[in-house]
Amino acid sequence: MDVKVTKKKLSLKDRYKLLTRDLGWQTTYQPMDKVYPYVTFEGIKIHDWEKWEDPFRLTVDAYWKYQAEKERKLYAIIDAHAQNNGHLNITDASYLTALKLFLQAISPGEYAASKGFARAGREFGGIGTQVACQMQALDEIRHAQTQIHAISNYNKFYNGFHAFADQRDRIWYNTVPRSFFDDAMSAGPFEFLIAISFSFEYVLTNLLFVPFMSGAAYNGDMSTVTFGFSAQSDEARHMTLGLESIKFILEQDPANVPIVQKWIDKWFARGMRLLSLVATMMDYMLPKRVMSWREAWNIYGVENGSALFTDLARYGIGLPKHWDDVEKSIDHISHQVQMALYQWSFGTSFHSWIPSDEDMAWLSAKYPETFDKYYRPRWENIKKLKAAGTPYANFGLPKLCQVCQLPCLFTEPDDPTSHCQRETEYKGEKYHFCSDGCQHVFENEPEKYVQAWLPMPGLFQEPLKGDIGAWMQWVGLNPGKDTGDYDGSEDQLNFAAWRTQATRNE
Amino acid sequence: MPVTSTKPYVGIPRDHVTNFCGKQIVFVCWDQHLLFAAPMMLVVEPTMLLKELFDQVWKPLLQADPDSAALKWDQGQWLKSNQPWTPNLEASIAANGIGHKEQLRLKTPGLDTLWAAV
Amino acid sequence: MAIELRTVTIKPRRQAYDHLVRRFGDKPASRYQEASYDIQAAENLHYKPTWDPGQDLYDTKITKIIMQDWYALKDPRQFYYNTYTLTRARQQETAEANFNFVESRGLADMLPDALRDVALNVLVPLRHAAWGANQSNTFICGYGYGTTLTQACMYHAMDNLGIAQYLSRLGLLLGDIDALNAGKEAWLNGAAWQPLRRYVEDCLVLRDPIELFVAQNLALDGLLYPLVYECIVDRHLSAKGGSAVAMLCQFMNDWFDETRKWVDAVLKTAASESEHNRDTLAQWARHWIDRAIAAVSPIVEQALGADTGKVVQEYVAALHARIQKNGIPL
Repeated sequence: MDVKVTKKKLSLKDRYKLLTRDLGWQTTYQPMDKVYPYVTFEGIKIHDWEKWEDPFRLTVDAYWKYQAEKERKLYAIIDAHAQNNGHLNITDASYLTALKLFLQAISPGEYAASKGFARAGREFGGIGTQVACQMQALDEIRHAQTQIHAISNYNKFYNGFHAFADQRDRIWYNTVPRSFFDDAMSAGPFEFLIAISFSFEYVLTNLLFVPFMSGAAYNGDMSTVTFGFSAQSDEARHMTLGLESIKFILEQDPANVPIVQKWIDKWFARGMRLLSLVATMMDYMLPKRVMSWREAWNIYGVENGSALFTDLARYGIGLPKHWDDVEKSIDHISHQVQMALYQWSFGTSFHSWIPSDEDMAWLSAKYPETFDKYYRPRWENIKKLKAAGTPYANFGLPKLCQVCQLPCLFTEPDDPTSHCQRETEYKGEKYHFCSDGCQHVFENEPEKYVQAWLPMPGLFQEPLKGDIGAWMQWVGLNPGKDTGDYDGSEDQLNFAAWRTQATRNE
Repeated sequence: MPVTSTKPYVGIPRDHVTNFCGKQIVFVCWDQHLLFAAPMMLVVEPTMLLKELFDQVWKPLLQADPDSAALKWDQGQWLKSNQPWTPNLEASIAANGIGHKEQLRLKTPGLDTLWAAV
Repeated sequence: MAIELRTVTIKPRRQAYDHLVRRFGDKPASRYQEASYDIQAAENLHYKPTWDPGQDLYDTKITKIIMQDWYALKDPRQFYYNTYTLTRARQQETAEANFNFVESRGLADMLPDALRDVALNVLVPLRHAAWGANQSNTFICGYGYGTTLTQACMYHAMDNLGIAQYLSRLGLLLGDIDALNAGKEAWLNGAAWQPLRRYVEDCLVLRDPIELFVAQNLALDGLLYPLVYECIVDRHLSAKGGSAVAMLCQFMNDWFDETRKWVDAVLKTAASESEHNRDTLAQWARHWIDRAIAAVSPIVEQALGADTGKVVQEYVAALHARIQKNGIPL
């Protein structure tokens, strides 16, 4: 036969289909529900996996090729940065607080996402979805690894980075991201996808990545900028996956809509709490600021978010519950979190500091309604205490929220003078929350959240039994070196000395 | 609501009182004194007298606020689990009916130095 | 930044992250070590999985194999994302060049019909088996414990998918879409393929990650790849003038040579840990190899006919020797 003549021309779409979803089949030696045992219990109804539109038609060989090019460039810069003391190019070493937080809190999240996507990449009943998830599993391990590599050189010269792996599992503020990702991974595959791909990657990632990476760029951290930009092209794919997933799920069956809405409500609430750390980074931690949290929220939250939810309205999806509470909190949370980090900085693996007069002028300009009125007087008092030789530390350990695991430090949506405190009783045990949003998350799945490992109560149980010194060791903190005020820290002094050495004329 | 799961799903609370080696948690909050970033967690024996809890455990943690010297436990409005409440300072924590993880809140109108700008 | 920095030497204040210093001593860590060790959450897991409340979120107990330290299952290739993608990117360049070479010179059309039929009949349905392998390795990555093992499984899963895609392209090149359809029909209903499909489907419901590792990566692929790519494609077809097919399968051959070293290292380390592990692995290996022989033989027969029994026995003996070399008695 003459093969040439009979060859049919395949469209890209059809060809990709042959190279992916045509590989699968309906099993007959084993029942499909044993092959994909987790695909129905969440109540999501999928009638036709074929309707899944591949968000990006990337074959494996193309993936290798593109990604390898990116990797070559990225590691060339990371190497050069290490060889040329690139760390001395940063604005000043206080910038590193943002990076320390990133390595401890975000990189482990990237790894968890990788693991979660591997599971999703196995459990979904449709190959298109599976392949997209598998590629994201690879991308996410890439992000975790490139971050650890890029930051590795900072660890050689600065405090606070060295124990990130221990601190991921043990230190109090890291249970915020850890419990977030544990929550997503302990959910079924569909909720995982809505939590990470849609709520986190699509709705919220801009609020995380753009500020972090622009912050790095503004502050001279070229190795972070480079991994950020290199990751961004992956993120673009992940966001597309997020949007495709939600549309696919919603179009499959109207009964899916209320389930998805509940997940959006939950993950928006959890996501915004996680992002309060980013808000604080933007407003307080960068020596040179990019934009305020309020400005970022207006662009990425209000403008983009509203457009998205207007678009989803045709499926019957509405704005996340508690959106209004979040809006009311925007002008407050960074101030509240930073004040908390400062007063508990004896227990953080990064430095905090009192905003300078210049900083306060900026904060007051960016937050005209709130900063001078509510937060400046407290900072001025803290300044006074420091000047008097009795710097402020709050040795009262905080009550934590059972769901988001942040200290209950946020105020009532309509009263910035009162802590928002919510509690409930479940099976004879009391549980406390920082907000209505977190309380609702708890009440929807109490059996899940009663299990939360809360680091503050944990400290008073076996084996630590309240021994703060033993706790310091357990979480890998060197008191006075990793912890405390930036002013007078080893990082500050060393950076100044090295920079002088490197810029002095012979 | 029950957790949606493949099999019966029962969570084991990690912070049950039996895990605190004879102690219990009391949460305290001096309302509107936000220099203290969050309500505080005190871990103490339930036999401790309430005045000891307040004077010896809580009060020393409040020194940074300029109003703390003027703070009187019997002047102000108390809430216990969000219900109005009158503490008996001479009685123990247990005798005051303060259970594990109970939240006490104290409001002291007039003590508002750090709110001067409001 | 406008700062001019002179080259100065600053003495590092520490050599490596704490967890790596604890493992490897106070010296600079390699990129592989940084990328692989202790980066999975280990303690204070918050919630039980809703998909199986009997498990922990990361659970060492879902396999019968017991390791004191799961990170001991390291990868002799030291693949982390960067070295993995760079290696495969080079290989895909070669594969691409090979496909182009065969296509541009019309070598596919010059293949004798008999040879083309053998190639299509044997190779094209294997793209479904490769998809099954992808599912297995994605599973092991997802539920296995410790990044040294699980990252390598994710890379392996991508390779499996890549191979499924190369086989699909081979089918399209040698025989068009009809070849893929015929291959799928054979996979679903052809008598020769049913033992293998049953094997693969049984792997799809296996949820002990290390048993699955043995069933997929050691027993099945350990027999299938040498028999198909080394014996049938490289020797049998090439000898008859089908070296174009060998070119299209170079990736699979190189890949098997490379990855078997990793599979061996994992099993050797796990087996040397304890008698219990060794016996368990041996029992799994025996069971799955017996089944793999039955699953693979009818496929080989399509190419080798009457010689099949003898040849398969030869390759089984080689596989047994390989496994015993890893300290697993059969």
